[in-house]
Amino acid sequence: MSDIRLVNLSKTYGEGNAVSEINLKIGEGEFFSLLGPSGCGKSTTLRMIAGFIKPSAGQILIGSDDVTALPPEKRDIGIVFQNYAIFPHMNVAENIAFGLKLRKRNKNEITWRVTEALKQVGLAGYGERYQRQLSGGEQQRVALARVLVTEPRILLLDEPLSALDKGLREEMKFWIKDLQKNLGITTVYVTHDQDEALTMSDRIGVMSKSKIVQIGTPQEIYERPKTLFVTSFIGHSNMLDVTILGQDANGVTVDLNGQELKTRASSSVTPGGAAKLVLRPENVLIGAALGDGDSRLSATVLSETYQGPIVRYRLKVGEQEIVAERQNQAHVERFSPGTVVTIGWDPEWSEALVA
Amino acid sequence: MALAEGRTTTRIRKHGSIAEALGGFRLWWLVLPAFLFFLVFFIAPVMSLFALAFDKPVAGVVSFAGNLTLDNFARIFTRPLYYLAIVRSVGIAAVVAVIALAIGYPLAYVIAKTEHPGRNTLLMILVLSSMQLDTVIRMYGLMVLMGDQGLINGALMSIGLIEKPLPLMYNTFGVVVGLVQIALPFMILSLIGIIKAIHPSLEEAARSLGATRAEAFWRVTLPLSMPGILAGSLLVFALSVSSYVVPALMGGWKVMVLPIHIYQQIAETGRWQFGSAVAVVLFATSLMAVFIYHKAAVRSAGGRT
Ligand SMILES: Nc1ncnc2c1ncn2[C@@H]1O[C@H](COP(=O)(O)OP(=O)(O)OP(=O)(O)O)[C@@H](O)[C@H]1O
Ligand SMILES: [Mg+2]
Repeated sequence: MSDIRLVNLSKTYGEGNAVSEINLKIGEGEFFSLLGPSGCGKSTTLRMIAGFIKPSAGQILIGSDDVTALPPEKRDIGIVFQNYAIFPHMNVAENIAFGLKLRKRNKNEITWRVTEALKQVGLAGYGERYQRQLSGGEQQRVALARVLVTEPRILLLDEPLSALDKGLREEMKFWIKDLQKNLGITTVYVTHDQDEALTMSDRIGVMSKSKIVQIGTPQEIYERPKTLFVTSFIGHSNMLDVTILGQDANGVTVDLNGQELKTRASSSVTPGGAAKLVLRPENVLIGAALGDGDSRLSATVLSETYQGPIVRYRLKVGEQEIVAERQNQAHVERFSPGTVVTIGWDPEWSEALVA
Repeated sequence: MALAEGRTTTRIRKHGSIAEALGGFRLWWLVLPAFLFFLVFFIAPVMSLFALAFDKPVAGVVSFAGNLTLDNFARIFTRPLYYLAIVRSVGIAAVVAVIALAIGYPLAYVIAKTEHPGRNTLLMILVLSSMQLDTVIRMYGLMVLMGDQGLINGALMSIGLIEKPLPLMYNTFGVVVGLVQIALPFMILSLIGIIKAIHPSLEEAARSLGATRAEAFWRVTLPLSMPGILAGSLLVFALSVSSYVVPALMGGWKVMVLPIHIYQQIAETGRWQFGSAVAVVLFATSLMAVFIYHKAAVRSAGGRT
């Protein structure tokens, strides 16, 4: 088990930057996700850690070793690919034994370890099968067993669930997380799926256009997005046009359609400038749900959409639209379109962000 | 259980009838022209040649007389001139297959792994363009290079490295070089598709599990190339063992392989029956060689392919 440090790590292809100046420390035993849209440089980063891509600049340290110049086979890493990469000409047992044979372990030990590894991933008795006789989920488990049996210092996973159907994906999400926790192995997980990242990670690094734009726990990333990009990439948010009026130690005052509102601000803002007031639909409260100290505004209900566990309202505030989501529980008031209602939110759950 | 089911389905698929593959009998007429062509222009002449091989040898007679005998074959297997030609033919074809594989594999590998689309096309054109010219023309090209007064000997003598020209042609060496030249594109084309189909992540997985570049190649890439190696070397063997033009031009009638004997017997001395018998032996020999090779290759690949 080791920590991982990336120092000014960059990769350039021709003119374009695939990865620019990433600085990151991933702790021992941590489950760290790289989350971002397609083409933002997640795989490139992971493949540089694995040693398949040579960085244009910067350093990679695993534990106390600088591995930047080492080939993949000398890095003592385990990687699971999106397509699992099970060797088709070897059966499951031979696949798992592959790394051990290269390490010149004796026959008895290999047999024993392969059996143990198969048990560990719930595939006891599958040793004789070939890749073409395995389902996607089973291949995934074989790929993990093949990696873990070599006891690598770090585990790298590149979108390992994206080829599975939804049900299996849910199941594997928790299974992989549990396995990782039990082993305590430092893990870097690449995904473009926010649900996976939020559910599985200890920390998430959100990437955009070759850079890491925010690092934090799932809760920090979801509740305190630092930029408009992170806000719009993770979940749904209302983004209302506001003007900054002033900033003090308690937060920011903004002007929304002529009404003064208090809000949080994670960075300093300039009075007079335009900004977006960001808040999640589930934090927009209507009518009796409002508490003391909440911002209050008057709004008109445009539509009500029933979605089972939640009910979704589109509301009009001045010229702008706000979406509110309410749990569909007992004793919750419903509002029909056309009704004028009082809406509001806790200022601590809204944030002013400058584009 | 699931395993057994998997096997059954593949068996059914394998043994599905041709009619089924053609979507019932309605599509039969589509293959009829090809079938007739094959029957008239391939099966018929070959069968009549085979029949002739078992006929009593009479010089100048081409038609089948029905005097069945094995004399023609007895002659082949009792005279060193002929049975050594069998060994020579098979030996040369096998050597050519090995050399074409050794040269062709690295080339095919490079072409298969070249991602740059322009460079890839260029390499493919280079390979294919060498197939555009007729064999005879290509052999004359080789003669210009390898003859006693050819470019190689000329250059070596002019810089004083040798005094007499090296015997590069009109011997087995020349024939092998000629055959490799003909065979190489076929070998490369057989390999490229197979190597391309090996997903890069397989080699990477091997590397990450501790294999050096060379180990990853030996344990993963090469075994997965076996279908291409098998197909390529069988194709090259078949081309080489049956080639007449190359041994004739590059061997200068001094390297007596089976096709040369066939030509001599039929075209020069008019002994159709004996020539046919040599042809039958050539056919049987190469079929047997192919069969043995295939069995061995399948065994070495652990029953796959
Ligand atoms: N070999 C290459 N040559 C040129 N550009 C490349 C190469 N590999 C990647 N890129 C570019 O680098 C950028 C990052 O690629 P990368 O594969 O890391 O994206 P990603 O975040 O993993 O995306 P995805 O979610 O689609 O897998 C992309 O814009 C891509 O076009
Ligand atoms: Mg990727």
